[in-house]
This record gives sequence, C-alpha cells and structure tokens, in this order.
Amino acid sequence: MLYKLSMRFIADLHIHSSYSRATSKDMVPEALWKWAQIKGITVAGTGDFTHPAWLTELNEKTEPTGDGLLRLKREFEADDIPASCRADVFFVLSSEISTIYSKNGRTRKVHSVIFVPQISDALKLNLALSKIGNLNADGRPILGLDAKELLRIVLDACPQALFVPAHVWTPHFSVLGAVSGFDSLEECFEDLTPRIRAIETGLSSDPAMNWRLSALDRLTLVSNSDAHSPAKMGREANILDADISYESIKKAIETGDGFLGTIEFFPEEGKYHYDGHRACGVNLAPGETIKNDYLCPACGKKVTVGVLHRVEKLADRAHGFKPDGAKPFHSLIPLPEIIAETHGTGVASKKVEREYLKLIYELGNEFRILMDAPLPDIERAGSPLIREAISRVRDGKVNIVPGFDGEYGKIRIFEVEERKQIKGQTMLF
Amino acid sequence: MTNAEARILDGLNESQRVAVTAADGPLMVVAGPGTGKTLTIVRRIAYLIHQGIRPEHILAVTFTNRAAQEMRERTVTLPGKDAAKAFIGTFHMMGLQIVRDNTPHDFVICTRSDQVDLLRAILKDKAHGRKANETAETISRIKNFLEDGDEETRAVYDQYQAALLENNAFDLDDLILKPIGMLRDASILQGYRDRFRYIIVDEYQDINPAQYRLLRLFAGDSGNICVVGDADQAIYAFRGADVTNFLNFENDFQGAGRITLSHNYRSTATIVNASDMMIQNNARRIARTVCPVREGGAPITVASVPDERAEAALVVSEIEARIGGTSHYWLMNEPHRQDYPDSAYSFSDFAVIYRTNAQAEIIKEVFRASGIPFQVIGSRRLSEERTFSDSIETLKGRAANIDKEKLEKAFSMEELIRRALNELGVEDDNLLCRLLMSIIPSNDASTVQNFNDAMKMVRLLLPSDDFDPKADSVALMTLHMAKGLEFKVVFIAGTEDGLIPYLRDGHDDAEEERRLFYVGMTRAKEELFLLHARSRFLYGKKTNPQPSPFVREIPGAFTRTITVPDKAKKRHQKQMKLF
Ligand SMILES: [Zn+2]
Ligand SMILES: [Zn+2]
Repeated sequence: MLYKLSMRFIADLHIHSSYSRATSKDMVPEALWKWAQIKGITVAGTGDFTHPAWLTELNEKTEPTGDGLLRLKREFEADDIPASCRADVFFVLSSEISTIYSKNGRTRKVHSVIFVPQISDALKLNLALSKIGNLNADGRPILGLDAKELLRIVLDACPQALFVPAHVWTPHFSVLGAVSGFDSLEECFEDLTPRIRAIETGLSSDPAMNWRLSALDRLTLVSNSDAHSPAKMGREANILDADISYESIKKAIETGDGFLGTIEFFPEEGKYHYDGHRACGVNLAPGETIKNDYLCPACGKKVTVGVLHRVEKLADRAHGFKPDGAKPFHSLIPLPEIIAETHGTGVASKKVEREYLKLIYELGNEFRILMDAPLPDIERAGSPLIREAISRVRDGKVNIVPGFDGEYGKIRIFEVEERKQIKGQTMLF
Repeated sequence: MTNAEARILDGLNESQRVAVTAADGPLMVVAGPGTGKTLTIVRRIAYLIHQGIRPEHILAVTFTNRAAQEMRERTVTLPGKDAAKAFIGTFHMMGLQIVRDNTPHDFVICTRSDQVDLLRAILKDKAHGRKANETAETISRIKNFLEDGDEETRAVYDQYQAALLENNAFDLDDLILKPIGMLRDASILQGYRDRFRYIIVDEYQDINPAQYRLLRLFAGDSGNICVVGDADQAIYAFRGADVTNFLNFENDFQGAGRITLSHNYRSTATIVNASDMMIQNNARRIARTVCPVREGGAPITVASVPDERAEAALVVSEIEARIGGTSHYWLMNEPHRQDYPDSAYSFSDFAVIYRTNAQAEIIKEVFRASGIPFQVIGSRRLSEERTFSDSIETLKGRAANIDKEKLEKAFSMEELIRRALNELGVEDDNLLCRLLMSIIPSNDASTVQNFNDAMKMVRLLLPSDDFDPKADSVALMTLHMAKGLEFKVVFIAGTEDGLIPYLRDGHDDAEEERRLFYVGMTRAKEELFLLHARSRFLYGKKTNPQPSPFVREIPGAFTRTITVPDKAKKRHQKQMKLF
C-alpha cells in the first residue's frame, strides 16, 4: 500500500534463473535483489517461473506485496549493499518459453515472455503446460507447440497474463527472425494478434529500427536484459511512471500510458546486428550480403542474416522515420565495459572491478551514473577518462564494430592516441 | 459412374480400386507397408454402402483403438448415408458387444492387473507377484490358443474362472472366448450372421486362434469376408498370433480372391528397397513385389557408437540438426549449423524405436537433459513421465468408489466422461477425455449408455493408446508399439546381435524378429538411422555386441556408415565471470 503512489522507476522484466541452461549459478533471488539495487532496477522479472524448483525457491524466499508483485523476505536480505544504492526491489513473475513447431512449410522457433500476477497463476499455467512438455529440463522450457496455441493456453489459464514476443528480431528464435520466424505477427498469431500489445526489441535492434515498420506502431516496444548472470541485469530496461503494482505495469506496457521509454544497447553491440559467418570471421553489412548472394565469401556456406538486414527487408518506411507518439530511448553501454575501455583491458580485470565498486559506492547505482550523475562528480569519483567516456556515450559518440552471427559487437570509445592524449592532459594538472 | 462413386474411387491406384470394388465372396488383400491399407478399407466400406448395403450390416475389426478410431473418422467423411452405423472397432469392442447382448445382468471387465490380484489371492502369492504374473500369462495363452492346459494349470484356471464369476467379471480374453461359446446357439449365431453380412478384418496376419474361430463363425464357409494384412508384419507370435492363418486364407475360404497392393507411398525408394531386400531372407511369407512411388532418398545411416549414452546423444544431435538447434548454445557449435536450412521439421516428425523397454532408460535420460519434448509410449512400468496408461490406471483404481448416480444425469458422453474424471479426481482430464471420446464410437449410443459402459471401454485401452498424435514431441517406443505409425525420421537404437534379433533364454525366433525389424525400418518416410553400440550395459552386465545380422542383410548400396569414435576426455570449460 505504501507504494501506491505513482513514481518513475526502471524495470528489467526478462532475466533467467540458475535453472536455465548456461546461466550463472549465482542467479538466485538474493543475488537478483542485490544486483537490482546496484544497477538501479526497481522491478525485476523473476524469470523461469515455469520451472518447478525455481518457483518453489521463489515461494520460499519471497512474499507477495498484495499488488501482484513479490519482494524478498527480510531474512534473505544481505547487509552488504552499498548505502548509495540501497532501494526497494520488487519482482514480477516472468518466464520465457521456447516454442518449436512447423507451420506453413517451415520450422518455426519462437520465444515468448509471459507475466502473471500470482504464484497460483504460475502454478495453474505450469499444470497446463506440463501436459505438453517437460518443464523440469530447462528454466526456459522447449515446447512442441504453436506459439499461437501457447498464447491461447496462457490466456485461458490466466486472463490477467501479459504475453510479449521476446527479442523479436533474433534470427533463430523469434517471431520476426530471419531463419525461423514469420514475416508478420499476423502470420504467427492469426486472429489472436490483437492480444499482442507489446514486443521486446532485443539487444540487436533499437526502437528507431522498429519505427521503420508501420505494422509495429500500435505496439509498445519494451527492452529487457535477458540476463544470464547478475552483472548483466539492466543492460536493457524500461522506464515507467506508474504505481508499483502488476496491474499498473501491465497497463503501462499494454497502452503506453505511463511507459516513458527504454534504455538500450547500441544495437550494433548486439550479437546479430550485422550479417556474416562467425567461423570465417566474415562480417557483412546487409548490402554486401546481397552482393554476395547470401553466401560467405570465405567458405561459400550461407551467412546468418542479422537483424539490420531483416528489418530493412520488412520495413515500409525510410531510415530515420519517427512515428507520432514514439517513446524516447537512451542508448547506453554497461559501465564495466566503459571502464574497461578507458583502461584498454577486458571487463573481467581486477582493475575494472575496483573502479566500478568505487564509482557505485560514491555516486549510487549504475543507471544513475550512466544517465544522471553530473560529469564533475564522475571525474572526482573515477577519472577524467571515465568522465569523457560517459560523456561520449551520453552523446552517442562511440564507434562500434557491429556484432554478427552470434558474436557481440566491439565498442571503441577512444582511439589509442586519444586515450593517451586525455591521460596526458590530466597529467599536466 | 455417379458423382458419389467417383468420389469414392478418386485417387485410387489400379489394385486399390480392384480391392475396393471386388464383388461378394472371400477376398485377401496383401498390403505391405505404406500401400494405402486404411485408405482401401475405408473406401471399401463406402463403396459397399454406395452399392446399397446397409451400414449396420458391415463389420470392420482391427487390433488397436488407434486404428479403429482413424478408420471411423475417415469413413464418416466419405459419401454414404449413416456410414457411422457400421461397426468399426477392435476385436475386444466387438466381443464386448456380443457379451453385452447375451448377458442378462451388468458385469465388469477386469484388466491384467486385476487378473494378477485375483491370482495372487488364489495362489497365496505374497511375494512379488511373479508367480501370479506368469500364471496370468499362461491362462491368457490357454484362452487365446483355445488350448486345454496341463492339469496343474487347469486347477488354478478353474479357481480363477470361479473367482471371475463370483465377481461378476470377465477378463479381456473372455471377450473373445465367451462369444465363441455364445455363438454355439444356432439362433444366436444366425442373428449375428444376419447382422454382420460384410466383414473386413485389418491386420489379419496378427489374428490368434480364438479370434480366428470367432471370425470363422461369423463368416461361414464362403462368406463375405475381406482380410487385409501383410505376412511380413506379423509380430505377435508370443501372443498366439500365427502367421499361418494369413498364409492359409486361400485354403480356408474356397474361391478366395487375392489382390496385392504393391505401391508404397510412404517411404523413399531407398527405404522401400532396402527393407524389402532384408525381409526376403524370411521363408514363411507371401512373395510380393514392392514398388516405391517416391524416388531416390538419402542412404540409410548405419551408425557405430561407443556406448548407449553416445547412441542417445547422436539421436539428440541429429534431431537438433534438423530442427536447426533448440538453443543459442547449440548454434555456437559450428559443425552442425545450417545443415538443413529450409527444413520444416517439428518434434513429432521423429521417433526413436528400440527392441526392449530396458533400453529406454538411458534414452529418456539424455532426452530429458536436452530439453527436447518427448513421449514414451506403452511403458507404464518404466516411465516416470505421466502417460495415458498412468491416468488410466488411476482411473481404474478409483472407479470402484465412485458415486455413480451423480454421473447418470449427464447429457452427453463427453459430459459423462468429464464428470466421471472429475469425480475420480483425475487431473489431466482434457487429455484423458479426448482419448476416451476418441475410442468410443460417437454415433453408437447403444455401446455406451452409462458410466459402467464407459468404464468398460476404458478397460479396453491398450498400452499403444499412450501415443498422443496431437502432442508435438519425439516418440520413444519399442518396435512392437511402432506398428501402424509413420515418421519422417526414424532412429532404431540397439541394432545389435542379441537385441535384434532378441535372444531370450538362449533361443530366438529369427523370422519373427526379422519381421519386427522390418516393421521398424518401414516406419521411416525420409530418413532411417540404424544405430549400434560397441559397448552396452544390459541386464546388469557390460557387453560388447556385434551389429545385428539383419543390418548386414541390407545391401551396401543403400547404406552409409558413420563411426563415432570413443570419447576423449572432456576439457573443462572455464566460465567468465564479472565480480
Ligand atoms: Zn529468448
Ligand atoms: Zn564462412
């Protein structure tokens, strides 16, 4: 009841627990709670509610807020959260389902994110889905089921559920993907298409790319991290101005009312922005792919067609078009990557970790540092190089070698000479 | 030709058309795999009706509920007034009908587990019930073979029959045996001969002596009996089915005609020809030519793998390759990607088939770990996955305590079943309800009128009814369960000497085993994998089996061989981690 008042907050609604394949063992409720604060996330998806063991763990470690959300029980809260970051964190029951089936003569693989308000709803849906497939094998279960049928089952089991097609442009596992997706939402969801009110843009596309399809105008473009480890939380997220309740969040996502916009990766940094063939190190812009007849110039195999290419293929508007009522977005680079860039090292280095902790202890959570903190404060807590890097990220002045065929893009904020120069300047003072 | 007749004959090939339109009198249709057997039967029913035969005078019997259901569904879509009034069902359904007609009081049907319980009490078998199980098997054999049994068994048999009588019960075998007795009454027999004037028998090669006797009674010496089957797919010798009945049909029924359906529409030419070359090594068969309609096809893959785990892993990875990977992690593995770029596979296009249920454990384990959806068909004992059989067992177990009056007020069969399931507290009512609805002849109100009748039908369900064709998942089953099914890609696991042919107590029936393998091979439409492990843990022992001799009977021109080397030690992968 305390949180009924409308407020501006950040929500990352699609993550995975330790019960999903290839996720970090650290993805437990306590860690989600902790890292949400470090990142500046107020509402986080639980992920994986279809997994019985994870749902049991959630049931044990969280309690309902009474507004369709969950919060960590006091006894599980750690006390080592930097004072600068401490904040309330809420969870919304979420799960991603992979449907694999054949339709209209092709294998289709579509991922969808589902939200429900109560653990009892999750149980009810799980019961229905357990008749179709094995929910125990993976936190993101694979079902041999038409995505449209899944939508129907979800709405039957829980009318308040929210169903969002996940990372809609990824080539292999999404509703509009080049390899096993459809050319339109209608082809996939048919008469149930109107029940889809939002789509997740995924790391390799940003809202501006999606604006080029008039068919998507009626949908809210949401962004989530799809994190498999705690530190990746919030790499994409949504900014809302609403009550902290399931109903309000759902309404904001469905209507756009109270949905302020999104925090985005630079799409070039995503794994499937460009086309190419990873094994051969061949990275192609869409035009080059067409010129090469969709074949890898090194080995002759078919290249993987990326998101930019796919968007251009389905787009009915020119590059740069912005529809009325489009929500603003912030393109950011995760702070550890920015710090690593200032040192010219990898993100996993001790130096980066030390500097990251220093910044959040002094300035607050990561989103605050990336978006709001005054530059002089950043320089004081970090370094002139970090100040300059964040300033450039805020202005979108970064160079990125685009990601392709499963390989993340490579960011360059500084040229080597530049980095020396800025360092040198500061030496003078 | 009238419009309706044209529709009935539409799309049939020459021999199918001859079989469909053949005149009265005994007829044998030799129908190999994929030759349009069900199509032919269904069209023949429609044709008979079109010729003015009343549907009530037609009896079509088959062995599985699945086959009966398919036949019923397809029949009603064809022209023909009241086609649904034809009796299309399993031998057990037909037997149940006769027992009902001629039993003045209500009764119950006991399943194999009820039988074993009764026998345990009779034999005072308090241990594992092994003795009771064996005795149930022997009694079943006596009833199916119409044998007398030795003196010792006879004593138990009599006690068992007395117990059934006391419980007002019939076992499944009684549903064939009792009618034979009932038809000794000439007027009753004449009644059924008047009713079932046209008889069609599916899978005639699997008929046992008791079923044969019953049909014989119906048909008389030169009746209108049309049998359809394939000597090469006779796989139930252990249940008393003898391929001899099929081979002898033309002597049995004088003046019988014979038509061979030889065009295989199901499988690629490679699979058709390879399996045909293999089965030609059998002596007891009706020689026939096969003629693949589909040309070419990928060679059959004969795969040698280190052990049973590697065998299951290879199956999973071949499925992943055709689906195009089920996860990003799989796609990061370069060698397999893009092998099937424009594929249209779903999980139900794949089946893994093995000789014994004991092989299923490791396959299930590997599938479970892969996350690929799968269903295990007909292995109640082994499966922890809930199957139809489990639900049916639950239902049977709880049925005794049900409040029947609540159910009698139901408006429709579906409602009746739903209420019954609700009352029983069975959770997966949708699944079970769908199944029950599908086995109960929809328009035949006389068969099922109340809950008791519904329960009788439930008791006719077979392990093979586990297969849910609407579940989009990979099917795992034994060779016996695979009969009548088809899949784009089939993996036969454990094609090893000792498993295929299966060696029991030092002896095997090579021809029966070869037929079983033939049934397995001919399930495949596009691709067939025959896997053998160089080392296998079986029945508590490590073995080093040789490849199946049947695989060697397939000419090399139809196969390609792959060998998965013994595994090297896995390198441990370090996980990158921030903080
Ligand atoms: Zn996904
Ligand atoms: Zn290449």
